[in-house]
Amino acid sequence: MRKLLRANFARLKKSTVFWVCMIVMFLLGIVLPLVHYSDKIQSHYEVPLDNGFFSYAIFVVILASVFTSLYIGTEYSDGTIRNKIIIGQKRVKIYLSNLIICICAGVFFCIAHLIPYLCIGIPLLGFFESGILPILLFMFSILIMMTAFIALFTLLSMLVQSKAISAVICLLTTFCLLLFGSFIFARLSEPEYYEGYSYTQNGITTTQEQEKNSLYLEGTKREIFQFLLDFTPGGQVIQLSGMETGHPEVLICYSLILIITTTGIGIPVFQKKDLK
Amino acid sequence: MEYVLETNTLYKKYKHFSALNGLSMHVPKGAIYGFVGKNGAGKTTLIRLICGLQEPTEGTYTLYGIHSDQPMILKSRKRMGAVVETPSIYLDMTAVDNLRQQYTLLGMPSEDGIPELLHLVGLSDTGRKKAKNFSLGMRQRLGIAIALAGNPDFLVLDEPINGLDPQGIIEMRELILKLNREKGITVLISSHILDELSRLATFYGFIDGGRMVKEMSAEELEHTCRKCIRVEVSNLKVLARVLERKKIEYKIISETEADVFAQIKVTDLALALAEENCEILTMQDRNESLEGFYMSLVGGEHNA
Repeated sequence: MRKLLRANFARLKKSTVFWVCMIVMFLLGIVLPLVHYSDKIQSHYEVPLDNGFFSYAIFVVILASVFTSLYIGTEYSDGTIRNKIIIGQKRVKIYLSNLIICICAGVFFCIAHLIPYLCIGIPLLGFFESGILPILLFMFSILIMMTAFIALFTLLSMLVQSKAISAVICLLTTFCLLLFGSFIFARLSEPEYYEGYSYTQNGITTTQEQEKNSLYLEGTKREIFQFLLDFTPGGQVIQLSGMETGHPEVLICYSLILIITTTGIGIPVFQKKDLK
Repeated sequence: MEYVLETNTLYKKYKHFSALNGLSMHVPKGAIYGFVGKNGAGKTTLIRLICGLQEPTEGTYTLYGIHSDQPMILKSRKRMGAVVETPSIYLDMTAVDNLRQQYTLLGMPSEDGIPELLHLVGLSDTGRKKAKNFSLGMRQRLGIAIALAGNPDFLVLDEPINGLDPQGIIEMRELILKLNREKGITVLISSHILDELSRLATFYGFIDGGRMVKEMSAEELEHTCRKCIRVEVSNLKVLARVLERKKIEYKIISETEADVFAQIKVTDLALALAEENCEILTMQDRNESLEGFYMSLVGGEHNA
């Protein structure tokens, strides 16, 4: 396993896709705090550092899908996965080493974003209003959520032997999960009542009573939607990127279940897979 | 005879297709084993199985005496190197970086052997050129260098000369011969380019429809394919008697034909036969090629 990891890290250092993703995350880490600072200047409102700080969760997930599919896909398109098997490396180790390297790449993407963000953001916007512990908890939750995504992408990339197809599948999966998460989140965010209001036109005052929102989810249906939002990686991204959850520790548990499940499926299927 | 690889009635079935149908083969140690078969005969499938890329549906094989269903097979694979179909190289890396990758995977203590390996395959001067800019021949040679990185005793090459230009074919042939003669590496080469194989192989295995049709040494093949004169006569018994009297080697082909393996004096033979009322109907020189032999083995309906 150490040999595989050493070889994978050496390849990572020379991977163009990896460095492009790093640069994208780094640039976002520069641009986003400047945008928030510009908002603060224009609106004259306080825009704390917390505001939009976790939006990197969305970017890192999208870039991780591109990176994982291309990094692992290259092993198939260039045929180099055969070199590993022919010299007697166990398939389970090949699978796990690819998973570990992609997780590490994801962590590097986060670091490449957070360093410039904090270096620029803290002087311009001040320190976190929420305090350091909740921020660290959210950062850890994003790390585990990202790992769940990468475990899913690794499963897809290890089982689909075409680099192009696996890249398309991973990207589509990411966007479908994000859209699904956004939809569920929007449904759960529906207000229970439309607020009452009154207006005056031609001297006549009309009053509209508070009205029940038919789209508001209640009972078991709401519980199911909440579970889907918490359990699916897409729902987790939406919640974590906007600090919209009060129970990040639950999301961590769900992500761990996803990591174990996808890897638990991926390894035996890859072990039985006929490679070309 | 000591065998590097032995397969025992191997079967490999895909959904609607049987690629191997009870294939048994024996690769002797130190040989250049020419694995001959037309496209789709099962050559690459067998190579994929012995490389561990796929599992046989039925049957087993042994590599250096280790059974394929034993965990130790992974260790015995460390003694082999292979280039399956296309060379397995990172296209966005240089030749040196590709070899470094393989050295790391193998856990080699030092990278000192890389320049020597590049020299061996004739890629010493590729510098910072990436493999994607290599010619097909250079990629093949880099693939072989990677396969050789672990100092294997057994090298498996799947169609190594496919797509190479004449110069590339010559270089590849010389490299294979050098590896076999100087380093004592046993080589298994699959190919359907029979003429080229005949310049290399010391042992042959002919495969068709996923089965081994015949295994033989190059000497046996040469004996089978050697030059002869095919004689058609009116009485084959008389011809046999005359040839035996003259101690000339022959082989009966049909009720009226025989192959004579010697430079015969035609007048002498004709007179000897005429004395016993036997007529020579036709005589023709025959020199069966490897291709002709292969076609006769597999039926000759398709191109080799």
